[in-house]
Amino acid sequence: MVLMEDRKKFSIFNFQFPKLLKVWLLISSRAAQDQLLTGWSGILFLVGKFIRFLLFFVFLFAVLSESESLADFNREEIILFFLIFNLVDIMVQFLFRGVYQFRQLVVSGSYDLDLLKPLPSFFRPVFGWTDILDGITLIPLWVYFFWFILTNDLLIRGENLVLFLLLFLNSLFLAFAFHLFACSVCVLTTEIDHLIWVYRDLVNMARFPTDIYSKGVRLVLTFIIPAVVLITVPAKALLGILSWQGMALSLVITSVFLWGSLKFWRYALRRYASASS
Amino acid sequence: MSKYFQLAKITFEEYLAYRLNFILWRFRSLITFLTPFFFWLAIYGGQEELLGYQKTQMITYVVGVVFLRSIILASRSTDLAGQIRSGELTKIIIAPWEVFSYYFTRDVVDKVLNVFFAVLEMATVLLVFEFPLYFPKNLETYLYFFLIIVLAIFLYFFLSLIISLTGFWTEDVWATRWLFGIIFLEFFAGAFFPLDILPFWLQKIIYLTPFPYLVFYPLKIWLGQISGLMAIKAILICFGWLGFFYWLTRFLWQKGIKNYGAYGG
Repeated sequence: MVLMEDRKKFSIFNFQFPKLLKVWLLISSRAAQDQLLTGWSGILFLVGKFIRFLLFFVFLFAVLSESESLADFNREEIILFFLIFNLVDIMVQFLFRGVYQFRQLVVSGSYDLDLLKPLPSFFRPVFGWTDILDGITLIPLWVYFFWFILTNDLLIRGENLVLFLLLFLNSLFLAFAFHLFACSVCVLTTEIDHLIWVYRDLVNMARFPTDIYSKGVRLVLTFIIPAVVLITVPAKALLGILSWQGMALSLVITSVFLWGSLKFWRYALRRYASASS
Repeated sequence: MSKYFQLAKITFEEYLAYRLNFILWRFRSLITFLTPFFFWLAIYGGQEELLGYQKTQMITYVVGVVFLRSIILASRSTDLAGQIRSGELTKIIIAPWEVFSYYFTRDVVDKVLNVFFAVLEMATVLLVFEFPLYFPKNLETYLYFFLIIVLAIFLYFFLSLIISLTGFWTEDVWATRWLFGIIFLEFFAGAFFPLDILPFWLQKIIYLTPFPYLVFYPLKIWLGQISGLMAIKAILICFGWLGFFYWLTRFLWQKGIKNYGAYGG
């Protein structure tokens, strides 16, 4: 029954989108109020995020000080990869934080209440929490990103920027698919944390251009945890070095992951045990 | 003594109760080893030396980080903060435990499990890739390494307890732990990369903190990159930090327990 309803409600891509956006804004507003309620905590998180970014940046410069290029990419291009990694990663954390709280909903049985609401069943698990601190971090990062590509002449043609933004969106869909997959595993097994961290650890490998890795590692990062599609592909599109085959493959991979995740989600939902009942 | 043995047994059984969780925990641990391993192999490429480290030394550093994470940074003292906030601490303080021994016993089980599986996983990976590790030639190096590790285990235990003890005064325990127990700790301890590849001014600041004695200095000793005299100096400074944090933990505990509301208890 839930699944039939879900098919009707599962229209995030068509006419229900404004309604879902309104709900998401409400959820985000509550999350922001909650996070900013304890100002000290927010400051500590922001300081930590800034220090982490800065230290990786310093590390990047230290590594590049020994060699001016890496896998045929020059210093500015490698910094661009690092910036795009941060943009994708923080954007994903900003949007899909709900996943980190989903286990508690499943274990306590509170997820039953969400299934009764007129929303797609995956809405609360994935979008149930918005990390406003990541949102705050994104603003200066986007500004710095645009300043960096313009001052270093990394944007050769306007079309590259359009393509980059489209593939950035594609990355978000792919990340959504993976987060939904993790939620499905959580419904079946109540395990989610380690799975999400495995994903994050592997995606962290794309801080640098994935071309530096051996073929075997690249295959894992393309087809199993597709960090290549998430970060390397949009970065290459911006630099104007992405082949049409590469672009097509990344779209196919995202479609397959999205389709597979939705199928698996429906399968998992049929087996939802409703712990509290 | 037997009650702590029983506690260790129960803690061990807790780990094995959720088998999928246990398998994914180990899988994640393997991934956290493989990612820097492949990263540094890629960065070195055909080069034998980079940033003052031979390729073998850097791989040994990566393997060493995994080992030291298992034996030093693996800890259950992080649970204390949540137990203070939830009132669950009451159960522990009214039972016939010495509180610090209680957490240390659970720590030991965590470390034993971590070390056992980490060594197994690393050995498998290194055998598959046929990668040699760097082993010190002098016997004193092993002694210095052993000494600093023992001190670092206790240093981290008290450091972590102090972060948890902030739970007596604030609800923002996770933010405090995230900043001091993850970001500062991981970067300043040298768990992400060796500290001496950073600019000199930044190194000087980091060396003023207790964090480098947890991972960086033990590995510098193992790699033979610091002299015997420097190793002894590092051990003595580590001992000094340990004394300070032991005192601070006792002090904060005595103050905090008077502030404890036993919510829900």
